[in-house]
Amino acid sequence: MSADATGVIHDLGYQRYDGGRLGRAQIVRTLTAYSLRAAFGLGRGAKAKIVPVSAFALMCAPAIVNAFVVARGGARAFPYDTYSAPVRMIIMIIFVAVQAPELVSRDLRSRVLPLYFARPLRRGDYPVAKFTALATACLIMVEVPLLVLYAGTIASAHGGGAVWAQTRALLPGLAVGLMWAVTLAVIGLAIASFSGRRAYATGAVAIYFFLSLALAEVLIGVAGDGTTGARLGGLVSPLTVLDGVRQWLGGTSPGPVPAVGSYGAAYGVMLLAACGAGAAVLAARYRKAGLA
Amino acid sequence: MAGQSPGTAVAKPPHAQPADPGDAFVLETTALTKLYPGRVTALDGLTVQVTPGITGLVGANGAGKSTLIKILLGLLEPTRGRARVLGLDCQRDASRIRALVGYMPEHDCLPPDVTATEFVTHMARMSGLPAVAAKERAAESLRHVGLHEERYRQVGTYSTGMKQRVKLAQALAGDPRLLLLDEPTNGLDPAGRGAMLELIARIGAEFGISVVVASHLLGEIEQICDHLVAVEAGRLLRSDTIRSFTQSSQVLLVEVETGTAELADALRCDGLDPRLSGRGLLVPMDGDMTCDVIRDAVAGLGLPLARLEQRRHRLEEIFRDEPVPAGQPNTRASTRAGTEVSHVS
Repeated sequence: MSADATGVIHDLGYQRYDGGRLGRAQIVRTLTAYSLRAAFGLGRGAKAKIVPVSAFALMCAPAIVNAFVVARGGARAFPYDTYSAPVRMIIMIIFVAVQAPELVSRDLRSRVLPLYFARPLRRGDYPVAKFTALATACLIMVEVPLLVLYAGTIASAHGGGAVWAQTRALLPGLAVGLMWAVTLAVIGLAIASFSGRRAYATGAVAIYFFLSLALAEVLIGVAGDGTTGARLGGLVSPLTVLDGVRQWLGGTSPGPVPAVGSYGAAYGVMLLAACGAGAAVLAARYRKAGLA
Repeated sequence: MAGQSPGTAVAKPPHAQPADPGDAFVLETTALTKLYPGRVTALDGLTVQVTPGITGLVGANGAGKSTLIKILLGLLEPTRGRARVLGLDCQRDASRIRALVGYMPEHDCLPPDVTATEFVTHMARMSGLPAVAAKERAAESLRHVGLHEERYRQVGTYSTGMKQRVKLAQALAGDPRLLLLDEPTNGLDPAGRGAMLELIARIGAEFGISVVVASHLLGEIEQICDHLVAVEAGRLLRSDTIRSFTQSSQVLLVEVETGTAELADALRCDGLDPRLSGRGLLVPMDGDMTCDVIRDAVAGLGLPLARLEQRRHRLEEIFRDEPVPAGQPNTRASTRAGTEVSHVS
């Protein structure tokens, strides 16, 4: 960087910017879009794309298998409301565990937050943008396979009635997907926002989701079929809570949680409490996370 | 996203309507006090006005410089007192202030895994610039700080000096009316410091952007500032233009081989204020006649004159002198540039 070089360059002069400026809401939207791209590794190096792209491919695999099955005259291989439950649970845990830290821990680590907060954004705007981005990313991860499942099925369906039946079955599935996206994003971000070290954050998110899921399955298994314990065992893990709420809202496919029966409302309350707690933690975290 | 107006909703450029045309100060604080939990006083009734141009904010580490900057950006609430930036209230209009102010923090703030262009473009967009304009201004800013060639490299591969330039570029990208630079020469080698200071001087002089530079290195920022604000323990030590500092800091060094004490007495009788400094006397300049008075006094006493030369106090001495109670000996010789400002004991 010779002084001469800069000397020559600066002779071109400084230009004022007289154009329009975006309002705060549009800046938040820009940050959301930027973060959504980052959630799939877009605008980052090739390494950042490995996990999201392979996770997306694996999530779509059952739907693609279904397309072949249906084309050979078989019935639809997976229900819309649970999809392939083990695949969806494992892949989504991995996706959130890797991508939530990508969205928040990275900024903590590089201490870039003061630069955001020194701009028109307000404190609360940052977690809102990050949540919207990760929830949208999760939505894409969950819903696109359902749409592939739907497309593969109706491609071989005969008659409007069959297509309509598929569509009616799909819609509750999409609603379940929305619940998944919101829940996983808010809990994943709340945990990840505590560490600037991505490895720690990823570990913490993965351990929380996997351990609680294992605990729920143990509780359900120990209690035995049809007991109250089995029905309530699912309350300890966000993923089984999501399944309990699905059943409570009328989902009929068998899922990881045995029929919740009259305890469905407990799952509903638990889901709201978990999401509320996640949001509160996230908000408090960014109210505090100062310039330091 | 609540509060979103439909359409493009491109707001009026902030410069088109200055916050208050009658307001001559880029920043202004009144009895500003900030207490941190645990009875730590970061700012203690600081009242200061800063006019456009380049202003040095000097003080030792912990004097309250960074706290002041955070309050000015609306990131911290003052415990008491008021602060205004560009005529806007720091608590009420924080969002508008932040759209008009560029901030370069003291610490590292760059993600290593993006290119300088991507990072500065993103930060320009976060300042409210539309996508195309952000891209253009990011390229411009990086060119101004001398990173044109390297702008497509990942920031993690940059040297400390280049990283400091990226930090400056992101502050510049939003076309601010005021730049707040917190220790911009931190971690730089002497050549890097020189280049950074030159850049800041150019931003102030040629770009027409007011700059507040916080630093604990007085000798360094006095080279580029129009105005100096010295803070210590959260209080204002002194605020004045560099010119008045320099004027008041002209001194003559007089050395006589014998009879230093008699000469001092004679000069005192002539209305001058000589102070013993090493083997000689330091006499503050009081107009052009001072030299003549000294010459006549030396001749009148018949003393052998060894040396008579003009000297400039370094500014840190001025700051130090201020609070020293009268009668206390002050025999500090000029210190070299770059000496850190330290607390007055």
